[in-house]
Amino acid sequence: MIVKLGLTTLLLSSILYATADMKKWLRPVEVPQPKDNKMTPARIELGKLLYFDKRLSADETISCATCHHPKRGWTDLEPVAKSVGVGRGPRNSPTVLNTGYQNRQFWDGRVRTLEQQALGPIEADVEMNMPLIVLIPKLNKIQGYKKLFKKAYPSSNGSITKEYLAKAIASFERTVVSTIAPFDKFAMGNKKAISEEATEGFELFQNKAHCMDCHDKFNFSDGSFHNIGLNDGELTGKELGRYLTKDRPAWYGVFKTPTLRDVTRSAPYFHDGSVKTLTEATSICASGGRYKNNVKNKSTYIVDRNLSNDEINKIVAFLKTLEGPDMELKIPTKFPQ
Amino acid sequence: MKKIVTTLVIVTILAVNISAKNWIIDQKGKTFIPSALIVHVGDTITFKNSDPFAHNAYTDAEANEFDVGMQATGKETHMTINGKESFSIECAIHPNMLLEVTVQ
Repeated sequence: MIVKLGLTTLLLSSILYATADMKKWLRPVEVPQPKDNKMTPARIELGKLLYFDKRLSADETISCATCHHPKRGWTDLEPVAKSVGVGRGPRNSPTVLNTGYQNRQFWDGRVRTLEQQALGPIEADVEMNMPLIVLIPKLNKIQGYKKLFKKAYPSSNGSITKEYLAKAIASFERTVVSTIAPFDKFAMGNKKAISEEATEGFELFQNKAHCMDCHDKFNFSDGSFHNIGLNDGELTGKELGRYLTKDRPAWYGVFKTPTLRDVTRSAPYFHDGSVKTLTEATSICASGGRYKNNVKNKSTYIVDRNLSNDEINKIVAFLKTLEGPDMELKIPTKFPQ
Repeated sequence: MKKIVTTLVIVTILAVNISAKNWIIDQKGKTFIPSALIVHVGDTITFKNSDPFAHNAYTDAEANEFDVGMQATGKETHMTINGKESFSIECAIHPNMLLEVTVQ
């Protein structure tokens, strides 16, 4: 079954009316789905329950939603992620928004699919700290979940495995997509949908400021990894970024280009959550990075674009037009027993 | 009999080498062109870079592990298909670039 995402009709008609050069900014009608985990209402509903269920963490105090909450821009508004107890994770919680369209997951892109991603934070000691060898038997003792897994994945026969758990959570995450923002209406042809200042900001975004070199297409991300010069000198530990997954020189200190959809809702910014405002984040990227020199493997896109404060403000005004209304979502308060 | 078998083996090896083909893949517009290949063991792939920026084709496939490193504009690199294992090649810098290689 192919699940059509909300607003399909509006999007289809908008694609018809958008001019050729603006079409690339419009969301594809369907989110890509793996052949062995097509989205169904039963799978999405099950995944949603699991996503919000705190019993999936070691001390039952946090769920996936704790760090990726719909009311907090699908992140947590904290510099770095919260873990069970009083601990903190090493990186800023990335938004779940539009991750179904990404070819690589996590800041360092260490896995490709949402199914591969879904179990990582559950087991990570700096996040939910729940070993699957403990969680899977625990879930199998909850009759309500067994019934829902059997309904969503008949081949499971109600026996919950880590594979089915990952598939269910991934199915829900694929429904977390951006809604129609003022910029989308602008891209569809309504030139009054955003202010004059924002329109000028969009022009700067595409040309003089070169933001589009990395923040491209409907999700405002090239899906690539860049070192934007937040640190200088030899990097260590978490700051090595994708290089930690394999020591390819091209991966030294690089992190995934985040989406800019709803970016007004996901402060603080960057992989380390070190920047509080969009103005500062824009300024860092467009001025050649926080550190101009002595940055090994800095992206060739990160150079000083000589923008004035007025121009930075116009780009920020444009970025604010990427915020759409909340997606329709009923957050569960009762969970299977 | 031994002579015949030896001759057959030599002929087979020669035939494989003679039929080995070189495939050209261009990297242009952050895309591998073409984006899929059907090859045989012994074939080679030449990677061109027509983009105005660097690429870095690689695969972690066990039988055909390969990493060209940073490939600047206009440069060419080569790989040989060593194992009968289909795999994907990705750009380390632009992961949306994918080349599916089917080894027959």
